[in-house]
Amino acid sequence: MSRRSSEERSGWLFVLPFTISMTLFFVYAIVRTAFYSFTDYDLFKAPSFVGLSNYTALISDELFLIALRNTIGFSFIVTTVQTVLALALAALVNHAVRARGLIRTVFYLPSIMSSAAMTLIFLWLFQRDGLMTASVSAVLAYRRHILFFFAGLAALQGALVLNARRSYEGVSIFDPFFLLVAAAGALALAVVCALAGLLPVFDSDLLISWLNTQRHFLFMPVTLWSVALMNVFTTVPTLMLLFLAGLQSIPSALYDAAEIDGANAFQRFRHITVPALRPVTFAVVTMGVIGTLQMFDQVAILGDAAPFASRVTLAYYIYENAFPAGASARIGMASAAALVLGILTIAVVYVQKSVGVKERAE
Amino acid sequence: MMARLTATEAVPSRRRLPASALRRRQLAASAWLYLIFLAVATILAGTFVLAFMASLKVDPLERPFRVYFDQVNPAAWIDAARLGQEGAGDVLWGGLSPGAKVDFSVTYAAPTDTTIIEPKAEIPRRRPGSGIAAALTRYYAADYASIALTSSSSATMQVRDEGGILQAWQTRTFVYEITYRSDRQNGPRIERTPLNLTAPTSQTLIDSPISPSRAERRGRLLSWDNITPGALGLIFNNYRRVINETADLQTGKSLFGSWLINSLAIATGRLLLTLVVASLAGYALARLKFRGSRLLFAALIFSMTIPAQVTFVSNYLIFRDLSLLNTPWSVIVVFVASANVLLMKQFFEGFPREIEEAAIVDGANHFQVFWKIILPNAKPALLVNAILAFQGAWNDFFWPLVLITSPPEALTVQVGLLSLRRSFGGAQGDWGLVLGGAFLSVVPVLILFVLFQRHIVPTQFTKDIT
Repeated sequence: MSRRSSEERSGWLFVLPFTISMTLFFVYAIVRTAFYSFTDYDLFKAPSFVGLSNYTALISDELFLIALRNTIGFSFIVTTVQTVLALALAALVNHAVRARGLIRTVFYLPSIMSSAAMTLIFLWLFQRDGLMTASVSAVLAYRRHILFFFAGLAALQGALVLNARRSYEGVSIFDPFFLLVAAAGALALAVVCALAGLLPVFDSDLLISWLNTQRHFLFMPVTLWSVALMNVFTTVPTLMLLFLAGLQSIPSALYDAAEIDGANAFQRFRHITVPALRPVTFAVVTMGVIGTLQMFDQVAILGDAAPFASRVTLAYYIYENAFPAGASARIGMASAAALVLGILTIAVVYVQKSVGVKERAE
Repeated sequence: MMARLTATEAVPSRRRLPASALRRRQLAASAWLYLIFLAVATILAGTFVLAFMASLKVDPLERPFRVYFDQVNPAAWIDAARLGQEGAGDVLWGGLSPGAKVDFSVTYAAPTDTTIIEPKAEIPRRRPGSGIAAALTRYYAADYASIALTSSSSATMQVRDEGGILQAWQTRTFVYEITYRSDRQNGPRIERTPLNLTAPTSQTLIDSPISPSRAERRGRLLSWDNITPGALGLIFNNYRRVINETADLQTGKSLFGSWLINSLAIATGRLLLTLVVASLAGYALARLKFRGSRLLFAALIFSMTIPAQVTFVSNYLIFRDLSLLNTPWSVIVVFVASANVLLMKQFFEGFPREIEEAAIVDGANHFQVFWKIILPNAKPALLVNAILAFQGAWNDFFWPLVLITSPPEALTVQVGLLSLRRSFGGAQGDWGLVLGGAFLSVVPVLILFVLFQRHIVPTQFTKDIT
């Protein structure tokens, strides 16, 4: 009896610091946010109750709707792309046994950089006359060369495969050895033609506004596409390592058995790798959703480098309402929007989880 | 299917690929694998390498992007070291101090039909940068140094023109001597010595110990920002400028320096606090039975999904009411270390129970068990937690942005980067400073990463989230 109560008392003492921090800075904070969302608080005079007017104001605020759309679009595109890319990269790296130590180092590096430093580097990269523009210009200037190379590659590969098929069976169109030969051949041909002056180099002195632009592409401002590119670039390596750890925990006997049963590479991937990686995938998607829905740092660092409507996300909208430049704080609006963001996050994570669990049960 | 069968029968000579060919295919497949992997790694690492190279340049936005310039050229380092030695007796950081006698030789070339005239040399009264530093500069090399031509010599060189025909060009080398004026021998040490050379466009500069920083007036005016840089002063000029040119106007103290110190203090504070909170709570949640533990755990998981933007208004007010805004304490304390608690909980759950139970039977209380048995064996988990906490606090942007807004020297380095971008990162901005600041801010975490790389295994995270 006394041991039980002593365990009870010790337990409480042990978690006391954490409980204080949790209660004060999280639970209390959420309750207060919920309370403020029904008031007209401005940080100074005492809050008075205004009912649902903050929420109705939100829905009629065009900026809020833009922020909401931007956030959802950004979260969707980044989570999808980074998960798929990370998985593909992990599958690739899993076979490249010899370079694993190096891979760890190179691929972990981006994740130690702060979002602020990372954004500054990308801001430099995405200047109108920056390196990104220069790379695009280079591709455009040599488009004839690139086209020629790929045409040569396809032609050589086709010829090699057809020739081999006359005397051998089981030669795939993407036969790796022929592809290597064809690539070398096409490259040599392209170089020779370029040296002989047969291929024109186009003049392209472009200026591309990656960030400071009002343009939209599909459902999102171009600015956010650039930020999305940067986000994917930073997170893919880390997520890849998570997938890689998952891949390495799959016993290779499973693959061997499947191969003996006649499963091809795609079937093995579909029926062994994907189910085995489901927990990791769930973790990666959850982290992705949470991380992207609250994307803030990049937008704040961008600042006046991009128009407000092209970069505003929900998280930034909340901050801007709480600390607007040169106006009094609209804590009510900020709190209402914050609750929307919180509920949105929970909803997406929950839906994602229930879908994931259902698939796992199958 | 039928057609394929008949085709196979029609050509009886078709057979399977021989073993050697299959082996070749396997090799080729892995060659592709490594090629693709190499391409990905190049794009990943290459971006950082290029950005770092750009951070060394005088103009990081220069077009076309050169990959070979003074800052990565060992010959220029040696010359810069020599100039720094002659200027201030400082091989590394250079300067110009009393008694300096610096030889600086430049060589011009021109076609034989034009004569090479002596360029007009002057030490301009140039401010070092665009920022606050301009207002802080008190001593100019122009006031303390004098320049004189000491000798010149002529030669010829072979130049291939557009048609590929060799032509003889004449060259002339001018040797300048820059001295600290003898009537001002009690003067201060000056950080840099700028130089302007004006010459007609018919003659081209073909050689100088270090390349001019920029050319103006269609190449007529060549200007050097600093001809006595020292080796490190040449390579890391932008980095030195980040420290020196983000200074407080009143005190002259380096802002970037105090940002770094603030971040270090906050990250260390949060590391210590997190270790205490997380190891205690993690142990209790893993081992001890007490009422409310499941509720606390649910809150922990819940808190990991909720963005900080949902809770920041209340937390801002808490610190405002305590008058702790704009102090490091607010940023240290505000963080709810849920992920760290989870990490410790998972570690303790995998810990063998028998030892603790034996100790409890022997009459030790829970705290004694924790302190004497658990903690000494939890070093790996504590290390991982410490690294994550430090890195998280160092890279944190949102809480310092909300809780520390003034004065400028109270910011953390991440928020400082924002103000650096605002001041220097415009379209025509001083991107050398911005990139230099970005890379400088990474250094502490990079050191941590290099030291403890083996311990930061990402598998740890996977288990947490699932």
